[in-house]
Amino acid sequence: MDVLMPQLGETVAEGTVATWHKAEGDQVEADEILCDIETDKVSMEIPAPKAGTLARILVQSGETVEVGTVLGVIQGEGETLEESSPAAAESAPADPPADPPAGSPDTAVTQAQPVLDEELTVTRKVPNLQAVLAQQENRRLSPAVRRLVAEHNLDLGAIQGTGRNGRVTRRNVIEFIESGAGAPTVEQPAVSVAAVPSAPPAPAAAPESGRLPFNRIRKLTADHMVHSKTTSPHVLQAVEVDYSGVDRVRRAVKDSWKAQRGYSLTYLPFIAHAVCSALREFPNANASVGDNELILHGEVNLAIAVDLGPGGLVAPVIHGADRLGLTQIAESIHDLAARARSNRLKPDDLMGGTYTLSNSGTFGTLITAPIINQPQVAILSTDGVRKKPVVIEHPDGDSIAIRPVGILAQSFDHRAIDGAYSAAYLDRVRKLLEQTDWFREL
Amino acid sequence: MDTSSTQTAAAMQPQGSLSPELRLRLYRLMYECRVLEKRAYDLFMQNLIKGTSHLALGQEAVAAGFGAAMRADDYTYCTYRGHNHTYVRGVSMAKILGELMGTTAGLMRGKGGSMHLTSVEHGVMGSYAIIGAHLCIANGAAWSAQYRGSGQVAVCFFGDGTTNIGAFHEALNLAVIWKLPVVFVCENNLYMEYTAIGDVTAVENPAADRASAYGLEAIIVDGNDVDVVYKTAIRALEVARRGGGPSLIEAQTYRHGGHSRADPGKYRPDEEVQQWLGKDPIPAYRQRMLELGIPDAEIERIEADADAKIDAAVEEAKNAPPPDLSLADKDVWADGGAAWRN
Amino acid sequence: MAELTYRDAVAAGIAQEMRRDDRVVLLGEDIAEAGGVFKTTVGLLEEFGESRVRDTPISEQAILGATMGAAMTGLKPIAEIMFSDFFAVCWDFVANEISKTRYMTDGQVNLPLVIKSGNGGGARFGAQHSQAVENWAMAIPGIKVVAPAMPGDVKGLMAAAIRDPDPVLFFESKSLYATKGEVPDGEHVIELGKSNVLRSGTDVTICALALMVPRAMKAAETLEKEHGISATVIDVRSLVPLDTQTILSETAKTGRLVTVEENPRLCGWGAEIASIVAEELFWSLDGPIVRVTTPHVPLSAADNLEDAMLPNAEKIIDAVRQLVD
Repeated sequence: MDVLMPQLGETVAEGTVATWHKAEGDQVEADEILCDIETDKVSMEIPAPKAGTLARILVQSGETVEVGTVLGVIQGEGETLEESSPAAAESAPADPPADPPAGSPDTAVTQAQPVLDEELTVTRKVPNLQAVLAQQENRRLSPAVRRLVAEHNLDLGAIQGTGRNGRVTRRNVIEFIESGAGAPTVEQPAVSVAAVPSAPPAPAAAPESGRLPFNRIRKLTADHMVHSKTTSPHVLQAVEVDYSGVDRVRRAVKDSWKAQRGYSLTYLPFIAHAVCSALREFPNANASVGDNELILHGEVNLAIAVDLGPGGLVAPVIHGADRLGLTQIAESIHDLAARARSNRLKPDDLMGGTYTLSNSGTFGTLITAPIINQPQVAILSTDGVRKKPVVIEHPDGDSIAIRPVGILAQSFDHRAIDGAYSAAYLDRVRKLLEQTDWFREL
Repeated sequence: MDTSSTQTAAAMQPQGSLSPELRLRLYRLMYECRVLEKRAYDLFMQNLIKGTSHLALGQEAVAAGFGAAMRADDYTYCTYRGHNHTYVRGVSMAKILGELMGTTAGLMRGKGGSMHLTSVEHGVMGSYAIIGAHLCIANGAAWSAQYRGSGQVAVCFFGDGTTNIGAFHEALNLAVIWKLPVVFVCENNLYMEYTAIGDVTAVENPAADRASAYGLEAIIVDGNDVDVVYKTAIRALEVARRGGGPSLIEAQTYRHGGHSRADPGKYRPDEEVQQWLGKDPIPAYRQRMLELGIPDAEIERIEADADAKIDAAVEEAKNAPPPDLSLADKDVWADGGAAWRN
Repeated sequence: MAELTYRDAVAAGIAQEMRRDDRVVLLGEDIAEAGGVFKTTVGLLEEFGESRVRDTPISEQAILGATMGAAMTGLKPIAEIMFSDFFAVCWDFVANEISKTRYMTDGQVNLPLVIKSGNGGGARFGAQHSQAVENWAMAIPGIKVVAPAMPGDVKGLMAAAIRDPDPVLFFESKSLYATKGEVPDGEHVIELGKSNVLRSGTDVTICALALMVPRAMKAAETLEKEHGISATVIDVRSLVPLDTQTILSETAKTGRLVTVEENPRLCGWGAEIASIVAEELFWSLDGPIVRVTTPHVPLSAADNLEDAMLPNAEKIIDAVRQLVD
């Protein structure tokens, strides 16, 4: 039986053997004092845990060892050392004592949550604050103004600021939009399909050479991506979708939706809704690959990739998304994105996804080949929607119209499904988006 | 201190005879407490019990005497040195050791720890780790019993160190003016923590000498004689139950070890320790039973049972899984959750 | 609908619950015979008798201990701590015992109790009888914290606090005791954890509590009339649970938030609300979040010194105009 370095106080992690009162080979009675140990706080006698022979002394007088270290071994009558010590060692995990208790409420959540990585923060010298502020005064924009300008692709220079020192206020922007002056034109760049756009990128500073160590989220992401690419043979397929029908609804309810809920109705909830309907008809895409089998998941737990900026990427899940109506899906996406950005996701929010939507449209991408979120078998990228000339075919003659068009691109696991199945599924998603009477779904 | 000369109340003398069955029960409670806490100490040495723990080795007679005298629906309020007080109300060894080890076998599945043992179903209304408060809280339970006319009594155990904190005095005063059914039991083990109680207290007997300030009888008993404790408990419980108000009992005893697991107790003179080890309540009571003609075989069976019980309890406590992480944010509120916002 | 004073509404709420549940009992200093030093328990001894309405000695620890012990053994006690400043002599019971017992016992013990207390300044009582300490309580997990501003809310929230299965600290604003308001007749209960939008505006959202609520309302009226600024005013009413949904949605509509707190500056409840809004509503904000508080000083007894420290309508107007103009 092993004699261990006990924890001599609530916050003590190590102890020193002061004196051995017994030598190797000595007979000892139960509770007879074997040795004295001490820490900066206390000293204490260690009694023999049972009668027998002090077979080994493993930590000599004067040595300091961690709590839980085996100090010596008592060999009971008829026992051999081989019998006693491994079992004892097993029963005494040398887990670090004293430090923050495992299982504090934060632990469960932080496992899955990004944390600001201090290693990545760059220390800058801040020049005189007042001088900096004075310089910025007329360029300073509130978060609300920045968001509105980004969402509506507005030219800031065209908006008259009435705030202090000519600052553009939120009301100025809203009035500008309501006046119609900011209506987007065909030439304007892509409209975002993001659920909630992340912060506008900071102005580029002069690049510096150096190394940025991966933070935890980055490491996890890197490992997962390599794992996915080596596990699943990826195939990319894409369709082009005409969002005219979706846009009609979005335009019609835009203001009332915003006023009622405080955020905008984007393309994403429509796509999510169509995907859920289509997956019900194509269950093999809502699945995982098992041991020589395809595991079908029944309900659709739709994962939505959310970009956290430097914090990385998370894909919280709308559980049972196929049971939700369009409004509920929009609410769920908004809720998950908001909670992801404010670090308030629960572990359950990140578990059990069966199909993933990845959204690069924020930056007007044409097409993205996403990597499958294991152990799912497919992932759909929603890319930028922009107005384009489209040929409308009609028996009386073809015509060209301006339509909002965007690509939906799916990577699928060729072990699980084949190209024809994926193509039929994508075609169904497109038809649902183009032909659903969205007014009825609201 | 010669305890025999300080017993003041004639009724507290170990007179009258207890039945052999009752004596065996008292012995069983003391012996099982001893086995339980000795094993708790061993498990601590093996680092299977973390944090802190405060043992009452040597003080078992107080817990056992009261445990045997209390009615099943009476309330126990004890301190962080409360393993024995919890055990004598019928809580299993595995539930106590499980709580000390922080496994799901524990009374509170690891959410309380050694210093907060609670088992409402056994009337153990909590172990309180910041001394003083629980005297006031025991008053509340006694008030509730009085208001409901239930005939229950609250028994509140505390150490000599508690007699110098304000809540002790507030609690005694309120208990007396409201005539509450509560029994306050001071286990005077001569040391507050690392300091002798006599060095920091204005009177010789820290609890009993304060009794007169609240119009109470000064009661000092030999806390190492379980017969005396039992009879004292019976009387005080009876007084409380029939509306006679509170009692304050000072039971003189000694802890064999230090204050807490980090304390080897080296500040105590060797002769004093030796003298009190000689007054260990358990071997003394064993001897008394043999002299009274109780068969050795029956005593040995109790001892063998206890040894088997503790081994099984350790296995059960040790092998239970650690609590699920989800417990960490449960049960702040009565709805089971911890939400502070919508 | 009757018009009652804030102090009479306290007694009305307690009486309503004592009539429907004989487990409800009341204890405190001078609360029985004398009807309370602030006269918030007048008539209760007469109606409910000595066994349910009990005077105690000046022993705040004994009061809260008895309250907790009674709550864990079948009663629903209400304790009065006369001045909230006195919580400092019995804080062990609030911070260590009452708040943590349910959690530590793995849910074995519920503590359905209410601790009511006269809180806050404006009555020239000096530094040790004038503190607004609701933020002390808010910092402890396991305690619900309520602070009503109007007689109708006093009655309804007191009733809800008594019915609630968890411990509730109920802060009564001393300077509002004499104010009058409509109080519904008959059974009146207001759900805990819901704030109240008292007026809706477009330019700024003002969150206030207790004594600060009428001052915020007065400020909002002046802002509208004299400065053309349209303000929403929220009576927060309950700090724990905190109705963040109402605060977030009302702030999203205006893009600007001002909190008005009576407690001294550091770690006041407004700081918590500001942090939540900054985290979750950053991209809807059109200006910095502004806190109006008592400066970080003890309060004085002299009229002009105390008035100069506490937030009032003028200070709120100044803060809003700085923000909105």
